[in-house]
Amino acid sequence: MGEQNKNKQKILQRIKLCSQNNALSLNEGWRIAADFNCSLLDIETTALEHSIVPARFNRNSLSCHEQLRLFRSRVAIIGCGGLGGRTAELLARLGVGHLLLTDPDNFSESNLNRQIFCTLQTLGLNKVEVLASELKQINPVLICTQNIHLFNTHSITGNDLVIDGLDSKEARIRLSQLCQKQDIPMIHGAVQEWYGQAGIDQASNKLISTLYPQTTEPPKTPKVLAMSVALVASLQAAEAIKILLGHNSALQNSWLQTDLRHCEYNLIPLP
Amino acid sequence: MQVQVKLFAFFREGRFIREDKELPTGTTAGQVVDDLNIDREEVGVLMINSRHCTFETVLQEGDIYAIFPVIGGG
Repeated sequence: MGEQNKNKQKILQRIKLCSQNNALSLNEGWRIAADFNCSLLDIETTALEHSIVPARFNRNSLSCHEQLRLFRSRVAIIGCGGLGGRTAELLARLGVGHLLLTDPDNFSESNLNRQIFCTLQTLGLNKVEVLASELKQINPVLICTQNIHLFNTHSITGNDLVIDGLDSKEARIRLSQLCQKQDIPMIHGAVQEWYGQAGIDQASNKLISTLYPQTTEPPKTPKVLAMSVALVASLQAAEAIKILLGHNSALQNSWLQTDLRHCEYNLIPLP
Repeated sequence: MQVQVKLFAFFREGRFIREDKELPTGTTAGQVVDDLNIDREEVGVLMINSRHCTFETVLQEGDIYAIFPVIGGG
């Protein structure tokens, strides 16, 4: 047995010894990582490979195999405001391993009504930088790549999927084209007032060109309520997880229209 | 002819969710949008009987016609 393998065996023994009911606490994980001079991510990956779950993911109701799959997933969040910020928060809590965050903007007062990490403390700060630091407080093994510029083809390359957290029609159409070129599913979400919509844009269904058929931007800046943002971001996170775990979804060939004012949820077939 | 018109999202504000309308034969999908004082630039998807259509599509007796706005915020 090589030196490396011996070490791996020792690490595994310690993990088994320190875990309770097949769950490993953060404190134990950090202690083992320090003792063996490796990262918490190494320790938790080894644990999951041997059916021991990091305690903070114990109530995710996912199998260790699925949790490991999320650990190894990469998701690009394009736009880190209302939808993007909240979807990123949900994906971090679920244990997605790598998030690539893109947004050039700073938090401003008009974001306080709906953007999860916009607080009096973060006003004026860059959204991506705030998000990266907050998400690390939720999941310390999360890797966040920060891009504080407008999105381009590099903002999505190498990712398993893309979250649409944008707020303009033109930008969504451009992002959809980039995603289709690289064959990456784009989880679309959009909100206005009490209303929202979500779906999965891909070359096979052309969701975005169906939903945004005209070339001009809508005349008014959309007003958005926080509940609509939270609802649609939850839908985006759920669809993201289903794609990452290989589950089927009704949104592969339809889109969901949500109406919180009249409590109506309609699944609309795509052409 | 009778057509049921269904509105979605903020098109419902100050209008209705669904309404049966008596329309002259030959009425197009676009004319109904105009009659409802909806700006065509705000329209995203139009569907007749769950099939996508355009402003030029002519409505038929008994159709169910759905009008969805472009939703743009994030």
